Amino acid sequence: MTDPVLSIRGLSLAFGGVRALDDVTFDVERGSITGIIGPNGAGKTTLFDCLSGIRRPDAGEAIVRRADGAEVELIARRPWERNALGVARTFQNARLFRSVPIGEILRTVQHEGMARSGFWRSVLGTAGARGDEAEVARRAEEALALVGLSEHADKPPAELSTGMLRLTELAAVSVVRPKVLLLDEPASGIAQAETEALGPLLRRLADHLDATVVLIEHDMPLVMGISDTIVAMAEGAVVTVGRPEEVRQHPDVLRSYLGTTAA
Amino acid sequence: MQELLGTFPGGLVTGSVYALLAMGLVFTYKATRVPNFAYGAMATFVAFFHYELVAGRRFSLDLSLLVVRLDADWDVQLSFWAAIPVSLAAACLLGLVIERLVIRPFARSRAPMVVMIIVTLGLALLLAALTQQLFGADQLIVPNDQAVLPRTPAFAVGGVNVSWERLGVMGLLAALSVATWWFFKATRTGLAIRASATDPEVAALLGVSARKLAVVSWVSGSLVAGVAGIALASVVVTSDPNLLMLLTIKGFAAAIVGGLVSFPIAVGAALGIGLGEELVRHYLVAMDAQLWQGAPEVLTLGAVIVVLALRPRWIFTGIREDEDTGVVGRSGAADSALARAIDPVEAFRLARATLPGGLATWAGWRPLRRAALVALAGLTVLFPVLPFVDDFYTLPANLAIAAGVVLLSFVVLVGWLGQVSLAQGAFVAIGGAGTAIGANTLGLPFPLPILCGVAIAVPVAVVVSLPALRLRGLHLAVATMAFGLAAERAIVPRFDASDRVAPPAWMATDRAKYWVFLALAAVAVAVCWRISATRIGRSFAAIRDSEVVAAAYGIRPVRVKLTGFAVSGAIAALGGTMLTYQLGAVGTQSASVFSSISALANAVVAGIGSLAGPAIGAFLFHLYPELTKGEVQATSLSFWPQITASALLILMLAVNPGGLASMARFVRSRASAYDDADEDLELDDLVAANDADLEVVP
Repeated sequence: MTDPVLSIRGLSLAFGGVRALDDVTFDVERGSITGIIGPNGAGKTTLFDCLSGIRRPDAGEAIVRRADGAEVELIARRPWERNALGVARTFQNARLFRSVPIGEILRTVQHEGMARSGFWRSVLGTAGARGDEAEVARRAEEALALVGLSEHADKPPAELSTGMLRLTELAAVSVVRPKVLLLDEPASGIAQAETEALGPLLRRLADHLDATVVLIEHDMPLVMGISDTIVAMAEGAVVTVGRPEEVRQHPDVLRSYLGTTAA
Repeated sequence: MQELLGTFPGGLVTGSVYALLAMGLVFTYKATRVPNFAYGAMATFVAFFHYELVAGRRFSLDLSLLVVRLDADWDVQLSFWAAIPVSLAAACLLGLVIERLVIRPFARSRAPMVVMIIVTLGLALLLAALTQQLFGADQLIVPNDQAVLPRTPAFAVGGVNVSWERLGVMGLLAALSVATWWFFKATRTGLAIRASATDPEVAALLGVSARKLAVVSWVSGSLVAGVAGIALASVVVTSDPNLLMLLTIKGFAAAIVGGLVSFPIAVGAALGIGLGEELVRHYLVAMDAQLWQGAPEVLTLGAVIVVLALRPRWIFTGIREDEDTGVVGRSGAADSALARAIDPVEAFRLARATLPGGLATWAGWRPLRRAALVALAGLTVLFPVLPFVDDFYTLPANLAIAAGVVLLSFVVLVGWLGQVSLAQGAFVAIGGAGTAIGANTLGLPFPLPILCGVAIAVPVAVVVSLPALRLRGLHLAVATMAFGLAAERAIVPRFDASDRVAPPAWMATDRAKYWVFLALAAVAVAVCWRISATRIGRSFAAIRDSEVVAAAYGIRPVRVKLTGFAVSGAIAALGGTMLTYQLGAVGTQSASVFSSISALANAVVAGIGSLAGPAIGAFLFHLYPELTKGEVQATSLSFWPQITASALLILMLAVNPGGLASMARFVRSRASAYDDADEDLELDDLVAANDADLEVVP
């Protein structure tokens, strides 16, 4: 590891007696795709929740390094500040703004980027605010076109298939131009053919955005196929970190998946 | 010391009244997770029924529905105790009917908390109106010879006499407390409720039927409400349906301190509120009634709001609303884990969206649109000079514009931002008060008092929204209700009719006022339209749909909520300034919590999500009844508008989300679907409970 964009150091979180995260520590290399695997209850989503600010860990830190070398600690920041630091995430259940058409969702998520659109400027429709609106609309259309959903722009999430929702989500995180993209099970609930198409799409997205991707995924062919590095977790702790083929053979990983001590 | 002791009996009796209401609320919530804002109205209904029997008045039922005319008269007179079984049977029947017709459709479709709050508020309005319509009186006065227990002094504490009757209320509270304790401790049903409250899936596995529990708890809840209502009507001496509804707010305030699940904390808090009020009344109000007007409510309800906002742990262990679906969970994240385990994306998709579109969905009917809009706009602007319109019609039109502006404030806050606030009436009062201050105290020339009223409302709205930054759904509704009640008692009386506000000479006629009001309303609508069309409106929708997702995309919930509350408060205040100019004095009618509730109900029916809603609501609920008043009997007060409006509200929410337009489809398909869905869901729940994602279970 030479240039980690994200360094997670000793993240721990307990829910009562359950240790959801137990001293989780690993680095994410800039420009890489890192897959996080592990059985249900391994603490994968909890880790994302800590990184995006939904949960506050009991201990530990997460440091984001910008390209210029500046370091920012993430955990101490408020949830909504993390987006501006270049960290964006998707949700396991493709959580979006449910009552809003997807075209508008893609404009909504660009909220913070609209520096010339304060309350009064928006209400009065100043040139700056109108410019912001036009720019935001343009980028929203672009992102929607990128995932091939332009014709569905007026539909709310409830009218789209799961696969389309996943794509909308990817469009939403990409439109805010993040540096670190946290994807929580992007393939869950979608058809096999779509899953197979997802790998190349994620790769393309990462290159297009020049972003680092961390993804939680249960679909082994997908995650093993596109990841540069795999982090295997079990019972809140990191079991091993390594290249996909190494992790696949790791006895502890086999044990946590198959529940047997005979490796 | 002697003096201090003297405040105890009064405080404890008042506290017992609140405690009786709080206990009923906790009971229903514990068993069914429904916050029953209609509890006080149920109590009143039974009380009116009971004393009607005792008074032996003639029961005349005169229902004329379309062509069917139901006319019935019968004379009944029973003694107090002979009437009790009849009244309690009526109470049980009432609970049964409410559970079957109103609650069940929502319970099984996992309606979000926002919907449940509005449904039971609508039910409260419906029952209050029905009570007045059926029993033909808007006040219940229990004469001495009909009191439960004699009103003669039983003993004296600190020089204050305590009557047998008041002692009886405290005794009733004690008896019901013991009975409740025993019910939950020793009976099968009580145990089942506790089991189901902890974990409905496991309870279902063990053979507990959620439906049966709901029936049992609504019937017994209604029974307790009836007992409390009969006792309270006697003690409160004069009670009208709205009064008990307002007492329910205090019951709610007490109950929510105990997380709506703890009986001891609820009763303790209720007694505390009662004692606190009595102390303030005795020491402060007695000193200077003018200065300390409303102080008992302000101080005690303020304390509850502070407790809520500081959110000690115990409050929040009871109620957890799932961030994602707005569905009320039981004990933390279990519910969302469950939903996720069934199929995460499906759960997200199936979760009901916010509130239905209301009548305003019809405004989007395209073929009609442009021509109709132009025609309507023309009619609206020319209204005062239309041939058949004289000043007789302009006055209600002016009031309707003011009411429409108040409805608009609900659209911004509830429809767009998704925050249920019942304090809008307070902002109407504040707007009016600010206008009076600007015009009279400061002597500002004409348009400035309006700005003064609006400007005062904004900082108050920001202060009110402070708890909202930490509270959501039910907690927010109760906190704002408490604020609304406190403001109603503290602000409104200070500006009663004595403070005349005169418009400038050129605006003296109703016609001139009409155009001024219309222009002001147009400005408010234009601001709202700009909000909805830009980044600001999108951030409102984001916060309404999911604060977590919004924050993940960098939208700051705090800032957005403050903005929404400020805008909504300013608009409601604008409505208040109009009322003040129209009535010539600060309008007190529209400033009450009760009118906030009914305005919210009207706003939902008319369409809470769109700018057309307030216009439709203003016409339908304010102008139209006035225009057609001549045709209805002018002599007797009719509550049918409120009855139809609130029944429509409940129906509309049940049909969610298409509004009335989708009602035909609903009647065909969904009516029976609920019963089928019942079994399916239970099966799903079982499967899900098996492999629920352990990750999030604390």
